[in-house]
Amino acid sequence: MELFDNLLLGLSTALQFNNLVYCLIGVVIGTAIGVLPGIGPIPTVALLLPFTFGLEPASALIMLAGIFYGAQYGGSTTAILVNVPGETSSVVTCLDGHEMAKQGRAGPALAIAAISSFFAGTVATVVIAVLSLPLAALALKFTAVEYFSLLVLGLFAAVILAHGSVAKSLAMVFLGLLIGTVGIDVNSGVSRMTFGIPALADGLDFVPVAMGMFGLAEIIANLERPETRQVVSQKLRDLVPSWTDLKAAFPAMLRGTAIGSALGVLPGGGAALPPFTAYALEKKLARDPSRFGKGAIEGVAAPEAANNAGAQTSFIPLLTLGIPANALMALMIGALMMQGIQPGPQVMTEQPALVWGVIASMWTGNLMLLIINLPLVGLWVSMLKIPYRLLFPAIVLFCCIGTYGISNSVFNVWLMLGCAVVGYFFIKVGVEPAPLLLGLVLGPQLEENFRRAMQLSDGDPSVFFTHPISAVLLAIVAALLLAMLSPAVLRKRKEALAE
Amino acid sequence: MTHRRFDWPDLLFGGFLIAVAAITFAATWKLASGTAANMGPGYMPRAIALALLGFGLFFAGRGLVRGHAGIPRVLARPILGVGASVAAFALLIETAGLAAASLAAILIAAFASRESRFFEVILFGLFITAAAVLLFVKALALPVSIWPW
Repeated sequence: MELFDNLLLGLSTALQFNNLVYCLIGVVIGTAIGVLPGIGPIPTVALLLPFTFGLEPASALIMLAGIFYGAQYGGSTTAILVNVPGETSSVVTCLDGHEMAKQGRAGPALAIAAISSFFAGTVATVVIAVLSLPLAALALKFTAVEYFSLLVLGLFAAVILAHGSVAKSLAMVFLGLLIGTVGIDVNSGVSRMTFGIPALADGLDFVPVAMGMFGLAEIIANLERPETRQVVSQKLRDLVPSWTDLKAAFPAMLRGTAIGSALGVLPGGGAALPPFTAYALEKKLARDPSRFGKGAIEGVAAPEAANNAGAQTSFIPLLTLGIPANALMALMIGALMMQGIQPGPQVMTEQPALVWGVIASMWTGNLMLLIINLPLVGLWVSMLKIPYRLLFPAIVLFCCIGTYGISNSVFNVWLMLGCAVVGYFFIKVGVEPAPLLLGLVLGPQLEENFRRAMQLSDGDPSVFFTHPISAVLLAIVAALLLAMLSPAVLRKRKEALAE
Repeated sequence: MTHRRFDWPDLLFGGFLIAVAAITFAATWKLASGTAANMGPGYMPRAIALALLGFGLFFAGRGLVRGHAGIPRVLARPILGVGASVAAFALLIETAGLAAASLAAILIAAFASRESRFFEVILFGLFITAAAVLLFVKALALPVSIWPW
């Protein structure tokens, strides 16, 4: 069985002592930033990227992945206890989780959230392992033509499924693509739009862009809102849920996992979509839907399972095809490139230990999360007592040091500042910055493949429609776009995202 | 906002995109376009800028026609405080070393919040500066000088 061989290879990598340590560091940092509102996984991963440079590729990715799914766990803790979603993915958990806490059942709510997450994480790991092989095999047949169409599909789908106005998000993708072209053109050696700044010759570094737009701009916007935090102060006893709780939660857990795994693979479906969908489904299936919003345990189990499964399966397109499903996966691509690994389908065959090691580490990481979250929940809650007025200057400083540290370049710090101002502008005019990051990271690949495809076809763009795989991919893009224009779908999407 | 005659978010975003497209055209007008089969360095940037121009005109036009949407209130203090903090770090890091740059960044950033307290910030700033030096220079071996000398 190839699958088992692969998983064994992965486990042997993931269980190496240093990789276990990096995994632990990742999930602990992830839980911490998940608990703390006001800092998300994107700036954190961007911040730590420069320091993974000296690590082995597998260790680096294991740690960064741990931050991502660790944040999902941590986010649900604050959602339940404080009614503040630490991450967007745990917004739904607030509804019933916090209600349970108010009724004095914070212990079971936290336990069910953690168990659901662990269960979903375990299942999703297997899903990744099963799906990766055929997808990677398919992708190996790709030429520049198919790859270009795939990248287009990835970008469009990410935009359409994410929240916010589709037209604005598309504009942001193009903006990202544009700043991705800054630097010396690889084919002709001519510098483009560098404005005579030597630091721009190698192109715009995406770390300062990500930290400015996601980290600093968020802080500036947060500071404009008055701080309100009320921790449900009650003794956290009875962490072990009762049998009736478990029995009620289990089917919801299963459904949530299935939904999360399926939606996570879709580009753009990474964080927000799976928990919302899972919650809506539970509400529809329940015999008594009025219980929801008043502390229904299914309302905690299903979205928690869905967001964890989704977080993990969103690695599938990254690991097999080299295209990121969301902005965070775009940073992972960046991490690979910093390690000198060109992301794409060949990674699977050339670096099996890396890919399977990362997959297997998700399971060890989930186990660690279960342990560090349940017995130690009091510790995480006490972290919430750190006031934001102290937290944010420290985050600003760490962003500065991290950006400077990529290549000891003051220019990057100024670039981050510029991106913070632009990012703040985007927040004010209500535009999501995530598509820009996708465009920026994928831009060079997109241009390279487009050029190569056009060279092969002598400048005839019909080549994208005559290659069958490429034609199918582009047809999906067209179908998605048409669907977005239909008012019925538009209304449905609005409802789904607003709920 | 008092001026609700336009959809300000759309109008501003559209204007921003048009400006970016214009800057791109200005910065790349000397670069060769080439042909589709053999693209020059100017081909892609200008093609993308054209798309951005289209988006920009669309949003700006829609913003002018639709109307009645304001921009959420903009407070000067957070953006100035955080901005000045980052700028201070950038100016100090190479000349004055990590310790001074960190302390300055923390102290200035604290101005961004009305809730900051004077002595608390100074103590906290010293503590975080020490932590940053230990973490980044000692533990993570970031090649940067700690002191100005």
